[in-house]
Amino acid sequence: MLQDDAGRTVRLEAPARRVASLIPATTEWLFALGGGDWVVGRTAWCDYPAAASAIPSLGDGILPNVEAIVAAAPDLTLLYDSPANLNAAARLTALGIPVLLLRTDGLADLDRQLALLGRAIGREHAADSLRAAIRDRLEAVSVPLREGAPSVLIVAWDQPPITLGQGSFLSEVLERAGGRNLFADLSAASASISIEAVVARDPDLVLVTGADSLPAFARRPEWAVVPAVRDRRFLRVQGSEFNRPGPRTPAAILELRRALERRAP
Amino acid sequence: MRIAGWGVVTGFVLVALAAGLFLGATGIPAGDVLRALLDPSATEAPIVRGLRVPRVLLAFMVGGALGVSGAALQALIRNPLADPYLLGLSGGAGLGAVAAMALQVPGAWAVPLFAFMGALGAVALVYRLSVVAGRRLDPRVLLLAGVIVGAFSAAIMTTIITLSQADQLRNAFLWLLGGFSAASWDAVRLFLLYAILPLAFLMVQARALDLLTLGEEPAQTLGTDVERLKRIVLVSTSLLTAAGVAVCGVIGFVGLVVPHALRGLLGPLHGRLLPAAFLAGGAFLVLADAAARTVVRPIELPVGVVTALVGVPLFAVLLRRSVR
Repeated sequence: MLQDDAGRTVRLEAPARRVASLIPATTEWLFALGGGDWVVGRTAWCDYPAAASAIPSLGDGILPNVEAIVAAAPDLTLLYDSPANLNAAARLTALGIPVLLLRTDGLADLDRQLALLGRAIGREHAADSLRAAIRDRLEAVSVPLREGAPSVLIVAWDQPPITLGQGSFLSEVLERAGGRNLFADLSAASASISIEAVVARDPDLVLVTGADSLPAFARRPEWAVVPAVRDRRFLRVQGSEFNRPGPRTPAAILELRRALERRAP
Repeated sequence: MRIAGWGVVTGFVLVALAAGLFLGATGIPAGDVLRALLDPSATEAPIVRGLRVPRVLLAFMVGGALGVSGAALQALIRNPLADPYLLGLSGGAGLGAVAAMALQVPGAWAVPLFAFMGALGAVALVYRLSVVAGRRLDPRVLLLAGVIVGAFSAAIMTTIITLSQADQLRNAFLWLLGGFSAASWDAVRLFLLYAILPLAFLMVQARALDLLTLGEEPAQTLGTDVERLKRIVLVSTSLLTAAGVAVCGVIGFVGLVVPHALRGLLGPLHGRLLPAAFLAGGAFLVLADAAARTVVRPIELPVGVVTALVGVPLFAVLLRRSVR
């Protein structure tokens, strides 16, 4: 008997051996728990570990393709706990395929999720030691938020300007790494904000995700009004470990912390 | 009556400009805003001169262009329901812009150029459809054609955005709802360069548009080259709509509401209506943008949402009044 994040009780006859993992974060965890061979389907966005790309993609994880899932014949399906997925969950359950609805939004979800996945695939011991290891690693890499910590604007998109608020994973990573989110007062995960508000709050640094050495918006005149953009005070992070909580989260925090320390005066 | 009407328009413009300059995501005291306007080295100058002034100017010009386009299209198809948005022009321009972004066409001119081709393509299609369907430019058929071409453009656009690998393009949806967050002096110059000729062309045709409202045959008899006039109006409004879409996304209902309200104030003659539509359309969009920036600050609403929220009820009232 398992209890998922939507509060549903799910019965598994035996530990799952054919898992359709329709959340990128759970795909990472299943591999980390040594259950990678039991994953029979993934989302198009599951890019880690590299071995995951050998698993057939079943498409999107939100509003999933129910037919593709059924065709993969899983004995357990993991779906993101979103209203958009309730219909698919009900249909799969009716077809005799157990579904766990999971929330994988932030650090607070890590421990609970790992324990649940461990039980679902019958690897409780591996899950327990991984939980302890992750907890220790998180503690080791995190720095407390100091007075005078640099304020950082997270730019998720530049036109219209979209930032990530308190409810986002990247904001959590940033605060653990010793930076203060400029828009920590926004409780939403993301919001469209005005450049004027950015100028008024005057960030020390600008955090961008992506490969470009200089983001394209840095050359645009309306952004040049922001001193941190004009002076090219950018922090760059790249990779999916910065947009989903998982086994790589401690490494992500450490990488951002190093980048912040390099920027420190 | 006419003088009172111009008084209303002037007052509206002044109120809108003041709101656009003095309201913002940050509560800068009015005195500091004035100081920054006069002195480039003032503390608030980056916000006021770098962000607010170009934004107000751009919103004013785009709103004006949409107002004039609406008035001219309404004269062309002799129906007050015409609007670049309803006739499918905006949808076509949006599709062009998204295509340019998806194909990553380089250059500052790519997006406006593709938007223009999209708008022109949509207009050509709407025109063709309404001709095939029988009488030339029957307003009802034309509007219907505009709506379905708009819906078709939206479907193709959604397909491009869904299939595109870059997750950035997914935000094109937000961009399409319209907003002036990218306003800058460069954008003001670009828009001016694009808009000035089509605006001038339309203004010059004021007299011919007056004749056209009498019907195509009377206008022809009275010495108007109707076919040439139609081409000028369609190409000019396509250019204006495309320039607007390129700098700020798709914004609806300005071209619908503004000319309609002005006819009540100033009468139907285009010599007055077109300049007034420019002023009032500009003021309307500046006000809508000021609201978008401040209502839930520091969060910004898409301005296209504000114009629809204000424009649709306003239009419903005007519609009922004009029916009575």
